[in-house]
Amino acid sequence: MLQVRDGAGETLGVLFERYHAPLYNFYTKLTGDRALSEDLVQEVFLRILRHRQTFRDGTPFRAWIYQIARNTRIDHFRKSRPQVPFEPEMAPTVTPGDPAQQRQESELLHKALMELPEEKRELLVLCRFQELPYEDVARLVGCGVATVKVRIHRAMQELRQIFHQLQAAPAGSGPRAAAQNVPPRRMT
Amino acid sequence: MNCEKIAELLPDYLQAGLSVDQKKIVEGHLESCVECREVAGLWKKLALIPDEQPSAEGRVRFEAMLQAYQTGRGTEGMPRRNGREHASIWNVFQWLRSPVGAMAWSIVLVVLGTYIGMQLGNTKSNSQQDLAAMHTELTNMRQMVALSMLQQQSASQRLEGVTWTRREEQLDPQVLSALMHTLRYDPSVDVRLAALDALSRHAGQPQVKKTVVDALQEQQSPLVQVALIDQLVEWRDAEAAPRLEKLRETPNLNPTVRQRADWAISKLN
Repeated sequence: MLQVRDGAGETLGVLFERYHAPLYNFYTKLTGDRALSEDLVQEVFLRILRHRQTFRDGTPFRAWIYQIARNTRIDHFRKSRPQVPFEPEMAPTVTPGDPAQQRQESELLHKALMELPEEKRELLVLCRFQELPYEDVARLVGCGVATVKVRIHRAMQELRQIFHQLQAAPAGSGPRAAAQNVPPRRMT
Repeated sequence: MNCEKIAELLPDYLQAGLSVDQKKIVEGHLESCVECREVAGLWKKLALIPDEQPSAEGRVRFEAMLQAYQTGRGTEGMPRRNGREHASIWNVFQWLRSPVGAMAWSIVLVVLGTYIGMQLGNTKSNSQQDLAAMHTELTNMRQMVALSMLQQQSASQRLEGVTWTRREEQLDPQVLSALMHTLRYDPSVDVRLAALDALSRHAGQPQVKKTVVDALQEQQSPLVQVALIDQLVEWRDAEAAPRLEKLRETPNLNPTVRQRADWAISKLN
Protein backbone atom coordinates (compact mmCIF):
# COMPACT_ATOMS: atom_id res chain seq x y z
CA MET A 1 0.00 0.00 0.00
CA LEU A 2 2.88 2.34 0.72
CA GLN A 3 3.97 1.91 -2.91
CA VAL A 4 0.46 2.75 -4.10
CA ARG A 5 0.46 5.79 -1.86
CA ASP A 6 3.76 6.96 -3.24
CA GLY A 7 2.59 6.77 -6.81
CA ALA A 8 3.11 3.20 -8.04
CA GLY A 9 -0.38 2.78 -9.49
CA GLU A 10 0.46 -0.64 -10.90
CA THR A 11 0.82 -1.96 -7.33
CA LEU A 12 -2.90 -1.37 -7.00
CA GLY A 13 -3.32 -4.39 -9.30
CA VAL A 14 -1.80 -6.56 -6.57
CA LEU A 15 -4.22 -5.14 -4.02
CA PHE A 16 -7.08 -5.76 -6.42
CA GLU A 17 -6.06 -9.41 -6.76
CA ARG A 18 -5.98 -9.82 -3.02
CA TYR A 19 -9.05 -7.88 -1.99
CA HIS A 20 -11.60 -7.69 -4.76
CA ALA A 21 -13.21 -11.08 -4.01
CA PRO A 22 -13.39 -10.51 -0.21
CA LEU A 23 -14.81 -7.04 -0.78
CA TYR A 24 -17.31 -8.37 -3.29
CA ASN A 25 -18.46 -10.96 -0.73
CA PHE A 26 -18.59 -8.31 1.97
CA TYR A 27 -21.04 -6.38 -0.18
CA THR A 28 -23.10 -9.33 -1.47
CA LYS A 29 -23.66 -10.56 2.07
CA LEU A 30 -24.65 -7.09 3.19
CA THR A 31 -26.81 -6.01 0.29
CA GLY A 32 -27.80 -9.23 -1.49
CA ASP A 33 -27.29 -7.38 -4.76
CA ARG A 34 -24.55 -8.73 -7.05
CA ALA A 35 -24.56 -5.93 -9.62
CA LEU A 36 -24.44 -3.28 -6.91
CA SER A 37 -21.65 -5.18 -5.14
CA GLU A 38 -19.57 -5.12 -8.33
CA ASP A 39 -20.11 -1.36 -8.62
CA LEU A 40 -19.19 -0.75 -4.99
CA VAL A 41 -15.97 -2.77 -5.30
CA GLN A 42 -14.96 -0.61 -8.28
CA GLU A 43 -15.76 2.48 -6.27
CA VAL A 44 -13.58 1.26 -3.39
CA PHE A 45 -10.53 0.91 -5.65
CA LEU A 46 -11.20 4.28 -7.22
CA ARG A 47 -11.32 5.80 -3.74
CA ILE A 48 -8.08 4.06 -2.79
CA LEU A 49 -6.44 5.80 -5.74
CA ARG A 50 -7.99 9.13 -4.91
CA HIS A 51 -7.40 9.06 -1.18
CA ARG A 52 -4.20 7.04 -0.99
CA GLN A 53 -2.36 10.03 0.46
CA THR A 54 -4.41 9.63 3.63
CA PHE A 55 -2.93 6.19 4.29
CA ARG A 56 -0.42 6.39 7.12
CA ASP A 57 2.52 4.07 7.57
CA GLY A 58 1.79 1.63 10.38
CA THR A 59 -2.01 1.66 9.88
CA PRO A 60 -3.44 -1.87 9.52
CA PHE A 61 -4.23 -1.99 5.82
CA ARG A 62 -7.20 -4.37 6.09
CA ALA A 63 -8.89 -2.10 8.58
CA TRP A 64 -8.21 0.90 6.32
CA ILE A 65 -9.65 -0.75 3.20
CA TYR A 66 -12.76 -1.90 5.09
CA GLN A 67 -13.19 1.61 6.41
CA ILE A 68 -13.25 2.81 2.81
CA ALA A 69 -15.64 -0.03 1.91
CA ARG A 70 -18.03 0.94 4.72
CA ASN A 71 -17.96 4.61 3.79
CA THR A 72 -18.54 3.77 0.13
CA ARG A 73 -21.65 1.77 1.01
CA ILE A 74 -22.93 4.41 3.42
CA ASP A 75 -22.44 7.14 0.81
CA HIS A 76 -24.15 5.03 -1.82
CA PHE A 77 -27.27 4.43 0.25
CA ARG A 78 -27.31 8.03 1.38
CA LYS A 79 -27.43 9.15 -2.24
CA SER A 80 -29.65 6.56 -3.83
CA ARG A 81 -31.88 3.58 -3.59
CA PRO A 82 -32.77 1.61 -0.46
CA GLN A 83 -31.64 -1.97 0.00
CA VAL A 84 -33.55 -4.69 -1.78
CA PRO A 85 -35.40 -7.37 0.19
CA PHE A 86 -34.01 -10.88 0.08
CA GLU A 87 -35.07 -12.98 -2.90
CA PRO A 88 -34.19 -16.68 -3.31
CA GLU A 89 -32.03 -15.97 -6.36
CA MET A 90 -29.77 -13.81 -4.20
CA ALA A 91 -28.54 -16.93 -2.42
CA PRO A 92 -25.04 -17.83 -3.50
CA THR A 93 -24.70 -20.49 -6.16
CA VAL A 94 -24.22 -23.76 -4.36
CA THR A 95 -21.72 -26.19 -5.81
CA PRO A 96 -23.21 -29.37 -7.36
CA GLY A 97 -21.72 -31.61 -4.68
CA ASP A 98 -23.71 -29.99 -1.85
CA PRO A 99 -26.28 -32.26 -0.23
CA ALA A 100 -29.84 -30.98 -0.55
CA GLN A 101 -30.32 -30.47 3.19
CA GLN A 102 -27.12 -28.48 3.49
CA ARG A 103 -28.13 -26.33 0.56
CA GLN A 104 -31.53 -25.69 2.09
CA GLU A 105 -29.97 -24.80 5.43
CA SER A 106 -27.50 -22.46 3.75
CA GLU A 107 -30.31 -20.66 1.90
CA LEU A 108 -32.34 -20.35 5.07
CA LEU A 109 -29.36 -19.03 6.99
CA HIS A 110 -28.61 -16.51 4.28
CA LYS A 111 -32.20 -15.39 4.38
CA ALA A 112 -32.03 -15.08 8.18
CA LEU A 113 -28.85 -13.03 7.84
CA MET A 114 -30.59 -10.68 5.43
CA GLU A 115 -33.47 -10.28 7.88
CA LEU A 116 -31.14 -9.00 10.58
CA PRO A 117 -31.03 -5.24 11.16
CA GLU A 118 -28.28 -3.74 9.04
CA GLU A 119 -25.85 -2.87 11.86
CA LYS A 120 -26.00 -6.38 13.28
CA ARG A 121 -25.62 -7.96 9.87
CA GLU A 122 -22.60 -5.80 9.16
CA LEU A 123 -20.95 -6.83 12.42
CA LEU A 124 -21.46 -10.51 11.67
CA VAL A 125 -20.20 -10.15 8.12
CA LEU A 126 -17.07 -8.34 9.30
CA CYS A 127 -16.30 -10.74 12.15
CA ARG A 128 -17.47 -14.06 10.73
CA PHE A 129 -17.01 -13.84 6.98
CA GLN A 130 -14.24 -11.28 6.66
CA GLU A 131 -12.64 -12.66 9.82
CA LEU A 132 -11.59 -9.28 11.12
CA PRO A 133 -10.45 -9.33 14.76
CA TYR A 134 -12.81 -7.66 17.23
CA GLU A 135 -10.19 -4.95 17.82
CA ASP A 136 -10.22 -3.95 14.13
CA VAL A 137 -14.02 -4.03 14.00
CA ALA A 138 -14.20 -1.86 17.12
CA ARG A 139 -11.94 0.71 15.43
CA LEU A 140 -14.05 0.53 12.25
CA VAL A 141 -17.40 1.10 13.88
CA GLY A 142 -16.04 3.50 16.48
CA CYS A 143 -16.74 1.73 19.75
CA GLY A 144 -14.94 -0.36 22.35
CA VAL A 145 -13.94 -3.99 21.90
CA ALA A 146 -16.23 -5.05 24.76
CA THR A 147 -19.16 -3.32 23.03
CA VAL A 148 -18.43 -5.19 19.81
CA LYS A 149 -18.51 -8.50 21.68
CA VAL A 150 -21.81 -7.66 23.34
CA ARG A 151 -23.27 -6.65 19.98
CA ILE A 152 -22.00 -9.83 18.33
CA HIS A 153 -23.64 -11.88 21.02
CA ARG A 154 -26.94 -10.03 20.59
CA ALA A 155 -26.73 -10.35 16.82
CA MET A 156 -26.23 -14.10 17.12
CA GLN A 157 -29.19 -14.38 19.49
CA GLU A 158 -31.37 -12.52 17.03
CA LEU A 159 -30.08 -14.55 14.10
CA ARG A 160 -30.96 -17.70 16.00
CA GLN A 161 -34.50 -16.43 16.58
CA ILE A 162 -35.02 -15.46 12.95
CA PHE A 163 -33.56 -18.77 11.79
CA HIS A 164 -36.04 -20.66 13.98
CA GLN A 165 -38.90 -18.56 12.69
CA LEU A 166 -37.92 -19.29 9.11
CA GLN A 167 -37.56 -22.99 9.81
CA ALA A 168 -41.02 -23.09 11.36
CA ALA A 169 -42.68 -20.91 8.73
CA PRO A 170 -44.31 -22.57 5.71
CA ALA A 171 -42.49 -21.83 2.46
CA GLY A 172 -43.23 -18.37 1.12
CA SER A 173 -44.37 -16.82 4.39
CA GLY A 174 -42.24 -14.36 6.34
CA PRO A 175 -40.61 -14.96 9.69
CA ARG A 176 -43.10 -12.74 11.51
CA ALA A 177 -45.88 -15.22 10.72
CA ALA A 178 -44.13 -17.89 12.74
CA ALA A 179 -43.13 -15.73 15.65
CA GLN A 180 -45.13 -17.85 18.07
CA ASN A 181 -42.99 -20.88 17.29
CA VAL A 182 -39.74 -19.33 18.45
CA PRO A 183 -38.24 -21.22 21.35
CA PRO A 184 -38.19 -18.87 24.35
CA ARG A 185 -34.83 -17.65 25.50
CA ARG A 186 -34.00 -19.45 28.72
CA MET A 187 -31.46 -18.17 31.19
CA THR A 188 -29.80 -21.01 33.06
CA MET B 1 -21.68 -20.86 35.07
CA ASN B 2 -24.87 -19.29 33.74
CA CYS B 3 -25.66 -17.92 30.27
CA GLU B 4 -24.97 -14.32 31.25
CA LYS B 5 -21.42 -15.15 32.30
CA ILE B 6 -20.93 -17.33 29.24
CA ALA B 7 -22.19 -14.50 27.02
CA GLU B 8 -19.04 -12.58 27.98
CA LEU B 9 -16.84 -15.43 26.81
CA LEU B 10 -18.82 -16.74 23.87
CA PRO B 11 -17.75 -14.13 21.29
CA ASP B 12 -14.09 -14.92 22.00
CA TYR B 13 -14.87 -18.63 21.93
CA LEU B 14 -16.41 -18.18 18.48
CA GLN B 15 -13.25 -16.50 17.21
CA ALA B 16 -11.03 -19.06 18.97
CA GLY B 17 -9.63 -16.38 21.26
CA LEU B 18 -9.93 -18.12 24.63
CA SER B 19 -7.34 -19.76 26.83
CA VAL B 20 -7.53 -23.54 27.28
CA ASP B 21 -9.19 -23.20 30.69
CA GLN B 22 -11.79 -20.69 29.50
CA LYS B 23 -12.50 -22.86 26.49
CA LYS B 24 -13.20 -25.82 28.77
CA ILE B 25 -15.60 -23.72 30.85
CA VAL B 26 -17.53 -22.61 27.75
CA GLU B 27 -17.66 -26.11 26.29
CA GLY B 28 -18.89 -27.47 29.63
CA HIS B 29 -21.72 -24.94 29.53
CA LEU B 30 -22.56 -25.68 25.90
CA GLU B 31 -23.12 -29.34 26.76
CA SER B 32 -25.87 -28.42 29.19
CA CYS B 33 -27.41 -25.32 27.53
CA VAL B 34 -29.41 -25.75 24.32
CA GLU B 35 -29.65 -22.03 23.47
CA CYS B 36 -25.95 -21.26 23.77
CA ARG B 37 -25.13 -24.48 21.91
CA GLU B 38 -27.41 -23.35 19.10
CA VAL B 39 -25.71 -19.97 18.93
CA ALA B 40 -22.28 -21.62 18.71
CA GLY B 41 -23.62 -24.09 16.14
CA LEU B 42 -25.14 -21.31 14.08
CA TRP B 43 -21.81 -19.46 14.05
CA LYS B 44 -20.21 -22.56 12.54
CA LYS B 45 -23.09 -23.05 10.12
CA LEU B 46 -22.64 -19.54 8.77
CA ALA B 47 -19.69 -21.05 6.93
CA LEU B 48 -22.27 -22.93 4.87
CA ILE B 49 -23.08 -19.70 3.06
CA PRO B 50 -20.49 -20.01 0.33
CA ASP B 51 -18.36 -17.19 -0.95
CA GLU B 52 -19.09 -16.05 -4.47
CA GLN B 53 -16.70 -15.20 -7.24
CA PRO B 54 -17.04 -11.73 -8.73
CA SER B 55 -17.58 -11.64 -12.47
CA ALA B 56 -14.76 -11.22 -14.98
CA GLU B 57 -16.31 -7.89 -15.97
CA GLY B 58 -15.19 -6.41 -12.66
CA ARG B 59 -11.57 -7.11 -13.50
CA VAL B 60 -11.97 -5.54 -16.96
CA ARG B 61 -13.50 -2.42 -15.44
CA PHE B 62 -10.74 -2.20 -12.87
CA GLU B 63 -8.05 -2.53 -15.52
CA ALA B 64 -9.71 0.20 -17.59
CA MET B 65 -9.79 2.45 -14.55
CA LEU B 66 -6.15 1.73 -13.77
CA GLN B 67 -5.14 2.36 -17.35
CA ALA B 68 -7.00 5.66 -17.28
CA TYR B 69 -5.13 6.58 -14.13
CA GLN B 70 -1.75 5.64 -15.62
CA THR B 71 -2.56 7.69 -18.72
CA GLY B 72 -3.24 10.69 -16.55
CA ARG B 73 0.03 10.29 -14.69
CA GLY B 74 2.02 9.65 -17.86
CA THR B 75 1.17 13.03 -19.30
CA GLU B 76 1.78 15.18 -16.29
CA GLY B 77 5.59 15.05 -15.83
CA MET B 78 5.28 15.91 -12.19
CA PRO B 79 8.09 15.75 -9.71
CA ARG B 80 7.71 12.37 -8.02
CA ARG B 81 7.76 11.66 -4.36
CA ASN B 82 10.96 9.92 -3.49
CA GLY B 83 10.90 7.79 -0.37
CA ARG B 84 11.72 9.23 2.99
CA GLU B 85 13.18 12.40 1.54
CA HIS B 86 9.63 13.65 1.13
CA ALA B 87 8.19 12.65 4.44
CA SER B 88 5.86 15.37 5.63
CA ILE B 89 7.87 16.44 8.69
CA TRP B 90 10.91 16.84 6.48
CA ASN B 91 8.87 18.96 4.07
CA VAL B 92 7.80 21.29 6.82
CA PHE B 93 11.36 21.47 8.11
CA GLN B 94 12.63 22.35 4.64
CA TRP B 95 9.93 24.95 4.30
CA LEU B 96 10.79 26.49 7.66
CA ARG B 97 14.31 27.05 6.35
CA SER B 98 13.03 29.00 3.36
CA PRO B 99 12.71 32.84 3.60
CA VAL B 100 8.89 32.70 3.76
CA GLY B 101 9.03 29.97 6.37
CA ALA B 102 11.50 31.96 8.42
CA MET B 103 9.18 34.95 8.32
CA ALA B 104 6.19 32.84 9.43
CA TRP B 105 8.28 31.33 12.18
CA SER B 106 9.26 34.81 13.33
CA ILE B 107 5.62 35.85 13.50
CA VAL B 108 4.84 32.81 15.63
CA LEU B 109 7.67 33.72 17.99
CA VAL B 110 6.52 37.34 18.20
CA VAL B 111 2.93 36.28 18.89
CA LEU B 112 4.03 33.79 21.51
CA GLY B 113 6.40 36.32 23.07
CA THR B 114 3.65 38.92 23.24
CA TYR B 115 1.28 36.44 24.82
CA ILE B 116 3.78 35.27 27.43
CA GLY B 117 4.73 38.89 28.16
CA MET B 118 1.09 39.78 28.73
CA GLN B 119 0.59 36.80 30.98
CA LEU B 120 3.63 37.74 33.06
CA GLY B 121 2.45 41.33 33.22
CA ASN B 122 -0.84 40.08 34.62
CA THR B 123 -2.98 42.20 32.29
CA LYS B 124 -6.16 40.29 33.11
CA SER B 125 -8.63 42.84 31.80
CA ASN B 126 -7.50 42.44 28.24
CA SER B 127 -6.80 38.71 28.29
CA GLN B 128 -9.84 37.75 26.19
CA GLN B 129 -8.99 40.32 23.54
CA ASP B 130 -5.37 39.24 23.59
CA LEU B 131 -6.32 35.64 23.08
CA ALA B 132 -8.60 36.55 20.19
CA ALA B 133 -5.85 38.65 18.63
CA MET B 134 -3.38 35.84 19.01
CA HIS B 135 -5.83 33.39 17.48
CA THR B 136 -6.26 35.68 14.49
CA GLU B 137 -2.51 35.99 14.12
CA LEU B 138 -2.10 32.23 14.19
CA THR B 139 -4.86 31.78 11.63
CA ASN B 140 -3.19 34.30 9.36
CA MET B 141 0.12 32.58 9.84
CA ARG B 142 -1.33 29.16 8.98
CA GLN B 143 -2.93 30.57 5.85
CA MET B 144 0.36 32.14 4.87
CA VAL B 145 2.10 28.81 5.38
CA ALA B 146 -0.49 27.14 3.15
CA LEU B 147 -0.14 29.81 0.49
CA SER B 148 3.61 29.54 0.50
CA MET B 149 3.62 25.75 0.36
CA LEU B 150 1.17 25.74 -2.55
CA GLN B 151 3.82 27.58 -4.55
CA GLN B 152 6.67 25.14 -3.87
CA GLN B 153 8.45 23.16 -6.58
CA SER B 154 7.93 19.78 -5.01
CA ALA B 155 4.54 18.12 -5.45
CA SER B 156 4.69 16.65 -1.96
CA GLN B 157 5.23 20.13 -0.49
CA ARG B 158 2.28 21.48 -2.44
CA LEU B 159 0.27 18.54 -1.14
CA GLU B 160 1.30 19.55 2.34
CA GLY B 161 0.11 23.07 1.53
CA VAL B 162 -3.33 21.76 0.57
CA THR B 163 -3.43 19.89 3.88
CA TRP B 164 -2.72 23.14 5.74
CA THR B 165 -5.74 24.79 4.11
CA ARG B 166 -7.98 22.11 5.62
CA ARG B 167 -7.19 23.34 9.10
CA GLU B 168 -9.23 26.48 8.55
CA GLU B 169 -13.00 26.82 8.46
CA GLN B 170 -12.82 30.09 6.54
CA LEU B 171 -10.17 30.66 3.93
CA ASP B 172 -8.58 33.94 3.06
CA PRO B 173 -9.64 34.91 -0.51
CA GLN B 174 -6.01 34.75 -1.60
CA VAL B 175 -5.64 31.17 -0.31
CA LEU B 176 -8.96 30.15 -1.84
CA SER B 177 -7.83 31.60 -5.12
CA ALA B 178 -4.52 29.68 -4.89
CA LEU B 179 -6.41 26.46 -4.20
CA MET B 180 -8.61 26.99 -7.24
CA HIS B 181 -5.53 27.70 -9.33
CA THR B 182 -3.98 24.49 -7.99
CA LEU B 183 -7.05 22.50 -8.97
CA ARG B 184 -6.88 23.79 -12.52
CA TYR B 185 -3.20 24.00 -13.26
CA ASP B 186 -1.11 21.96 -10.84
CA PRO B 187 0.98 19.45 -12.81
CA SER B 188 0.38 16.66 -10.27
CA VAL B 189 -2.81 14.59 -10.30
CA ASP B 190 -2.43 13.94 -6.57
CA VAL B 191 -2.23 17.64 -5.75
CA ARG B 192 -5.19 18.46 -7.99
CA LEU B 193 -7.26 15.74 -6.32
CA ALA B 194 -6.29 16.98 -2.87
CA ALA B 195 -7.19 20.54 -3.90
CA LEU B 196 -10.60 19.36 -5.04
CA ASP B 197 -11.18 17.64 -1.69
CA ALA B 198 -10.17 20.82 0.13
CA LEU B 199 -12.40 22.99 -2.07
CA SER B 200 -15.38 20.71 -1.54
CA ARG B 201 -15.71 22.24 1.94
CA HIS B 202 -16.18 25.69 0.47
CA ALA B 203 -19.12 25.03 -1.85
CA GLY B 204 -20.81 28.13 -0.41
CA GLN B 205 -18.39 30.29 -2.38
CA PRO B 206 -19.88 30.72 -5.88
CA GLN B 207 -16.49 30.91 -7.58
CA VAL B 208 -15.57 27.49 -6.19
CA LYS B 209 -18.44 25.76 -7.97
CA LYS B 210 -17.68 27.67 -11.15
CA THR B 211 -14.03 26.61 -11.01
CA VAL B 212 -14.97 22.97 -10.56
CA VAL B 213 -17.37 23.10 -13.51
CA ASP B 214 -14.79 24.90 -15.68
CA ALA B 215 -12.12 22.37 -14.71
CA LEU B 216 -14.24 19.60 -16.23
CA GLN B 217 -13.30 20.60 -19.75
CA GLU B 218 -9.71 21.47 -18.95
CA GLN B 219 -8.60 18.35 -17.13
CA GLN B 220 -6.92 15.58 -19.05
CA SER B 221 -6.58 13.04 -16.25
CA PRO B 222 -9.57 10.67 -16.17
CA LEU B 223 -9.11 10.23 -12.44
CA VAL B 224 -9.49 13.97 -11.83
CA GLN B 225 -12.39 14.14 -14.27
CA VAL B 226 -14.21 11.38 -12.39
CA ALA B 227 -13.51 13.13 -9.07
CA LEU B 228 -14.89 16.42 -10.46
CA ILE B 229 -18.02 14.68 -11.73
CA ASP B 230 -18.55 13.00 -8.35
CA GLN B 231 -18.18 16.35 -6.62
CA LEU B 232 -20.79 17.98 -8.83
CA VAL B 233 -23.22 15.14 -8.08
CA GLU B 234 -22.44 15.49 -4.38
CA TRP B 235 -23.33 19.19 -4.61
CA ARG B 236 -26.40 18.35 -6.71
CA ASP B 237 -25.39 21.17 -9.02
CA ALA B 238 -28.11 20.99 -11.68
CA GLU B 239 -26.39 23.76 -13.69
CA ALA B 240 -23.53 21.36 -14.29
CA ALA B 241 -25.68 19.01 -16.38
CA PRO B 242 -25.22 20.91 -19.71
CA ARG B 243 -21.45 21.03 -19.11
CA LEU B 244 -21.44 17.30 -18.48
CA GLU B 245 -23.35 16.79 -21.71
CA LYS B 246 -20.68 18.79 -23.47
CA LEU B 247 -17.94 16.78 -21.79
CA ARG B 248 -19.37 13.45 -22.86
CA GLU B 249 -19.33 14.64 -26.48
CA THR B 250 -15.57 15.24 -26.29
CA PRO B 251 -13.78 13.11 -28.87
CA ASN B 252 -11.50 10.38 -27.44
CA LEU B 253 -12.96 10.82 -23.98
CA ASN B 254 -11.98 7.99 -21.66
CA PRO B 255 -14.87 5.45 -21.58
CA THR B 256 -14.89 5.37 -17.76
CA VAL B 257 -15.30 9.16 -17.67
CA ARG B 258 -18.05 9.05 -20.27
CA GLN B 259 -19.87 6.36 -18.27
CA ARG B 260 -19.52 8.45 -15.11
CA ALA B 261 -20.77 11.56 -16.91
CA ASP B 262 -23.85 9.62 -18.11
CA TRP B 263 -24.52 8.48 -14.57
CA ALA B 264 -24.10 12.04 -13.25
CA ILE B 265 -26.43 13.50 -15.88
CA SER B 266 -29.11 10.98 -14.92
CA LYS B 267 -28.67 11.97 -11.26
CA LEU B 268 -28.76 15.71 -11.86
CA ASN B 269 -31.72 15.81 -14.26
